[in-house]
Amino acid sequence: VTVLIHHCILYKKAEVEETLKRIQGQKGVQGIIIVNAEGIPIKTTLDNSSTVQYAGLIHQLVMKARSTVRDIDPQNDLTFLRVRSKKNEIMIAPDKDYFLIVIQNPSD
Amino acid sequence: MRGMRMVLRKKRIGPIVEVFPRKQRLCLLAFQRGCQTRPVHTAEAEIQPLLNADNGTQTDPQDHLIYQLPPKGELRPESPGLRDFLHRVEDMVVKELASNAKSHAFDGFDVNWEDQNETVSCIHCLQHPSAQEKGLQVTSISWSCTGSVIACAFGRVDDGDWSTEKSCVCTWNLDRRGLNPKRPDMVIDVARPVMSLSFHPSQPSLIAGGLYSGEVVVWDTNRTQDLILAQTGMSTDTHREPVYQVAWVPGPRRGEMVVLSAGSGGRVLLWTVDSDEGRLVLSAGFALIRQQVPHNSALSKNRGSSNVGVTSLALSPWDLDTFLVGSESGLVLKCSFSAQTLAAAPPDGESVTLRAPAQFSFSPRGGPVHSLHCSPFHRNLFVSVGTDGLAHLHSLLQPDPLLSLRVSDSYVFGVRWSPTRPLLFAAATGQGLVQIFDLGRKSLRPAATLDQLTGGQPVYCLEFNPRRKDLLAVGNADGSVNIWHLSTELTEQGPRETAKLEQLANEVAE
Repeated sequence: VTVLIHHCILYKKAEVEETLKRIQGQKGVQGIIIVNAEGIPIKTTLDNSSTVQYAGLIHQLVMKARSTVRDIDPQNDLTFLRVRSKKNEIMIAPDKDYFLIVIQNPSD
Repeated sequence: MRGMRMVLRKKRIGPIVEVFPRKQRLCLLAFQRGCQTRPVHTAEAEIQPLLNADNGTQTDPQDHLIYQLPPKGELRPESPGLRDFLHRVEDMVVKELASNAKSHAFDGFDVNWEDQNETVSCIHCLQHPSAQEKGLQVTSISWSCTGSVIACAFGRVDDGDWSTEKSCVCTWNLDRRGLNPKRPDMVIDVARPVMSLSFHPSQPSLIAGGLYSGEVVVWDTNRTQDLILAQTGMSTDTHREPVYQVAWVPGPRRGEMVVLSAGSGGRVLLWTVDSDEGRLVLSAGFALIRQQVPHNSALSKNRGSSNVGVTSLALSPWDLDTFLVGSESGLVLKCSFSAQTLAAAPPDGESVTLRAPAQFSFSPRGGPVHSLHCSPFHRNLFVSVGTDGLAHLHSLLQPDPLLSLRVSDSYVFGVRWSPTRPLLFAAATGQGLVQIFDLGRKSLRPAATLDQLTGGQPVYCLEFNPRRKDLLAVGNADGSVNIWHLSTELTEQGPRETAKLEQLANEVAE
């Protein structure tokens, strides 16, 4: 039984890595961070200090954006957040347990 | 613990006398000493718990385990639901990324968060009338680390003689209300002309200065009486020739900064500040000897002294071990603080052994190299200027310059990269102009020209404010320091500047 479960874990891990690779391969993608519900980064393609910075700040921003949407209309909810700046664009796909953060420079 | 053999040996306690071969028979004297601590205090006390409880634990036998930890390679257990989450969002995210890359929705869309400044203007013209009356020139300027205080050193650059003229160092605090441009906030009188100045990078009250006599002094502007915190004095360790460059570099201990001084005697010396004694103590030194300079192309055969006189020095913000040196004869050298080769200079009573730091020689110029500066945006780029009127953009990796721009028909005395725009640098000319060049433009003409209104007298030094990105200080030969407020175009970084700089750096010179 233990051997079978071990293989399942490895298979799932490979799928996660594959998905991240596909996203990373899109044009202009500079980095990907996956953050859990507490705001702690669990997967990243950036360096340590940038990851920690992004995770903390973006988690707060997503919470604020979500509460803004729900305050305007309690039946509504946040599905996607995009922050466009002079140098790049940050895309955030939120969910109950995780956020996916992708940093893209579209003109690259 | 793989099969260590324990070997028991009898231990001898007492004096040990070794027997040497015939030629070197020595008797070792042995002394006996003892020591004893003071009597140890002891006390007795009793305690008794009021409540008692019994408990026990036991692990489950191996074959009852349902879940086994993953092998060593995976340190964190797999997050539950991560795969499903990614499944859900992947398509949407990939679609958005792809359409964003093709989108023209934001083309040409600019947002103005701050007030746009269209013009370049001179907001202050700082002078010290008594220094101007004596005809002293501004030889060096430095901003404090907070960006509010500008200090300028007075001396003479055109005097060939050994000068014993008294001079001064003046500071102005630009953020203070009631700033009087004609009256410095503080005037430090110095017995000799001051040739170079540098504020401490983290302590705003300390200034290091290099004098014409070869001495190096550190002033503490917080003091009320004698402002000199430490000085080298005239010892065997000091420079014998004018000190043209001082800088603060990280010392061996964390948080400590030491003073680096370089002069036309060919010495680059590092001094630790001993504030208790009021002395600068020599901790390390380098000597640049012509014969030890690595050759890469034909070097001019001048019969002068074998010392390579240093006229300019630049520290690399990327690599704390590298520094660049520009010499009186036109050499530009890449040096290392950790060089171990001993200098071929005859010992002159110095307290440390001098080492030869030069590792690489760039293509030499025809005259003295007055100023060097490493780019804060690219680890391999630096710019150098001198008496040939050109600004040479170099890569650390090759001897020939990548690009040479004509700055002026006369000498160029100073050059600095902009701290905010990767492609911008400013150069100070002997005609009294500051030329600002933008490497992103197709034209080789300057993006802006700032006339210092000195009546054609040279501009000797210029420094960008480290905190306020729109201020540029310029020191002139007529004894005035002009503070310029730059336009947004010269201070705001454009969208692809770092990439363009990278492209420039990778071009190979013809």
